[in-house]
Amino acid sequence: MHGRVKVRTSEEEKARKEKERQEKLKVFKNAMQKIQLKRQQCEFDKDLLELTGKVLMSNPDIYTLWNIRREILQQIKNINTEDDLTKVFDDELSMTEYCLKINPKSYCAWHQREWMNEIFIPGTIVEFVVSQCKSSLQDEFDYTTEKLLDNFSNYSAWHYRSKMLLQLYPDIEGGRPIQDIYHKHELKMVQNAAFTDPDDTSAWFYQRWLLGAFKSTVNLVLCTVTQFKTTIAFSKHVSYDYVTSKSRVIVNENVISGDWISLSGNNHDTLWILGHNVSINDDMNIKVEHNGNEKNEIISCFKYKHMTYIGKSDICFQNNYSHPIIEELNEQLKACRQLLVLEPDNKWTLLTTTIFLHCIDSKLYYQETIQNLQRLKKLDQQRAGYYNDLLTKWSIEEQLPLDYASKDLVFKPTFSEKITILPHLQYYSFCEVVDLSNQNLCSNILPSLIFLQHCKILILRNNKLHTLKGFPNIFLEKLDIQGNKDISEEELKHFKDSHDFVTIF
Amino acid sequence: MRRTAHFPPVTVVVFHDDGTGQACDQWAQPGAWDNVSFIQGLQANLGGQVPRLLPFPYTPAKVGSLAPGSNREKAPMLYHHLDYLASYGLNKDDYEYCMTEYLRMSGIYWTLTALELMNQSSRLQKEEIIEFITSCQDNESGGISASIGHDPHMLYTLSAIQVLALYDRLDAIDVEGVVRYVASLQQEDGSFFGDKWGEVDTRFSFCAVMSLSILHRLDAINVNKAVYFVLSCMNFDGGFGSKPGSESHAGLIYCCVGTLSICKRMDALHADELSWWLCERQLPSGGLNGRPEKLPDLCYSWWVMASLSMLNRIHWVDKKNLEQFILACQDAETGGFSDRPGDITDPFHTLFGLAGLSLLGNTNIKAVNPTYCMPQETIDRLKLEPQILQI
Repeated sequence: MHGRVKVRTSEEEKARKEKERQEKLKVFKNAMQKIQLKRQQCEFDKDLLELTGKVLMSNPDIYTLWNIRREILQQIKNINTEDDLTKVFDDELSMTEYCLKINPKSYCAWHQREWMNEIFIPGTIVEFVVSQCKSSLQDEFDYTTEKLLDNFSNYSAWHYRSKMLLQLYPDIEGGRPIQDIYHKHELKMVQNAAFTDPDDTSAWFYQRWLLGAFKSTVNLVLCTVTQFKTTIAFSKHVSYDYVTSKSRVIVNENVISGDWISLSGNNHDTLWILGHNVSINDDMNIKVEHNGNEKNEIISCFKYKHMTYIGKSDICFQNNYSHPIIEELNEQLKACRQLLVLEPDNKWTLLTTTIFLHCIDSKLYYQETIQNLQRLKKLDQQRAGYYNDLLTKWSIEEQLPLDYASKDLVFKPTFSEKITILPHLQYYSFCEVVDLSNQNLCSNILPSLIFLQHCKILILRNNKLHTLKGFPNIFLEKLDIQGNKDISEEELKHFKDSHDFVTIF
Repeated sequence: MRRTAHFPPVTVVVFHDDGTGQACDQWAQPGAWDNVSFIQGLQANLGGQVPRLLPFPYTPAKVGSLAPGSNREKAPMLYHHLDYLASYGLNKDDYEYCMTEYLRMSGIYWTLTALELMNQSSRLQKEEIIEFITSCQDNESGGISASIGHDPHMLYTLSAIQVLALYDRLDAIDVEGVVRYVASLQQEDGSFFGDKWGEVDTRFSFCAVMSLSILHRLDAINVNKAVYFVLSCMNFDGGFGSKPGSESHAGLIYCCVGTLSICKRMDALHADELSWWLCERQLPSGGLNGRPEKLPDLCYSWWVMASLSMLNRIHWVDKKNLEQFILACQDAETGGFSDRPGDITDPFHTLFGLAGLSLLGNTNIKAVNPTYCMPQETIDRLKLEPQILQI
């Protein structure tokens, strides 16, 4: 079904080919009939092996025929000597090789080889021979090094290398995926690959992974307690078991007992709601405790206004690299900048420089990374959507620590570039006023608004919404959706009718 | 003989060799196409050029923009695809048809779904197909085979379930039998065999959860373990292969992301990394490949786009360029889509071409659900709600 070029032929050619095919078909149908009959009559003999073999050699994907062969081989295994079995094994292997030459992707042929190894061979002399051939993990790792030094454009080699690296050199004490010295070495290797051929993409994907391979933790970032609702937010998705066993809300030194429900109703979520019976008043001492895997966190909640307590943790999105790695990244950043001078329009060089800047010090290099992303949008137009979202994400991450330090109950992005998505929205779940006006938000973000559990006024004026489908069940007092001209009048009316408790304009 | 149905009038268009089209002042009823003298008359009026049809919603005004010299704009030739698909199985002696008997059940699913996306599933023989499916269920194992005389397998059990779901005739088979078969193939580590012969592949994890979710019987397997196994196949790039340790590939990524979507565990994905890897599949031609440094192929337009849809990042790909690539894979003579422009067409690529166009927002084709690759209205009818990531 793949790679068959349509060739124009004359009527004569067509007729000749059709005749040939009809003959082939006749032979094929006869063979299949014979095979079915013999199978029905349980004649699992060499004859049937040969018959199925003939058909499979032109049609290696007829899975039932491979099944029949296995039925025959099982019988043969039970009644034959070791010598005969070796021959049978070799013949079958040759058959699969032949089939794989016709169709290198034939799942059936590959599986037959696997089956031979796992089912057919055990207990035979062949098993012993095969077991002597296994190489060590270190050998395999060195093999990938050899392959890569020969030709860096070898995605498979980078892929296998990533697996072995994690198995051979994990930093168990430090809790990092890879020991520093090897992590550094890998970064150098990728740099080598990049300088050899900046257009080969394999090494860049591997590098992205290396840059993401740092210690990461789960933090409880926010606790919001009002007379209506108690919610807690985590930096990452956690399970129901995790929340119930590792976090608790404490009011006036008493742990509140209640039921945790995830925002989505799924078993894993970033925002959790505590159903409880404690009535909240204006004179309480509220804390939230989190027994994370690394440390215990206790966040005190302060009264922001009447019946509203909010506790926020310190926010920092900066990647947590060890010192040797930071050193290496800074070294490589210099080299990247040099390469960029030589190749200002190479998307990979520019993207990598930008990622490095962000990883080393996102705050220090914020302006430069934003400018680079704007340039990448033009240089690599097909992926403009990706660069827009990345720009939004990094801007929000820059903004969050400042918002968390203030006592406002407002979320209003004010960046030079309009935002396109709503990342980390759980962090803003405490806000009463969410002003997302004059941005570039599309309707695909609507379901995320469910995070705005304590929001009273939501402004989505002047965005790019084309429908209100997916708008979640949240209790707002005011909703402004003006200036989204692609939403039909009909849909707007229907929406207003079904949300009559909210003032909508 | 061409089957006729009641359609609105069509626009007559002349297509040039370079794919650009020019509208004529004529309108025609579909039935007129069987009328030889009408065609001859048209040809005479058009100076001997061979006229083609454009699908019904096109008005002369829209077509006017397809003037010669416009940048290789191609329209979806829905009529051609309808006829191409409707002919599936009509000639039981067709060479290709006979040689692909070993995947017949999937062939029916591809063809029927493609037709249903164009609201024309009535062009196939419903009762004949349902009877065929019934006779393909193996009473002993409960599993369903690709065709009569072939063995039961997870792949064809799923295709059968999907076809019956489209027809709203899940009652036609022994549902408990299917549930029993699928559940029996789950292993200790959460993985699934394809059949009793023991091949393990994340494709089968997807088949298992999809089949059972349609039957509302996910309770029959250990979902946590199934998820755990799929996650054990995650690679450094955020992608997935067929087994733990296998390299990332767009087709397997679709299966794994689909499995997590059905099991509502998409939280476990490295969404940004994986989505970036997926959007990097787009090549300058606009087409998508399945992994780095490989050629584009139409079916990847489905595997990659459906995955990106579930990840809620379909906007990370240039939709216009991709649409142009998909349309270039159509065959104006035979109908249907092929893996790349100029190759022979088949029902597999025709489904994924149409489904891909649907995901890109083409309003002439029904909305398709990215997780199930079935019409969204069918998924709504079944009351299924696969997960889509928030963004």
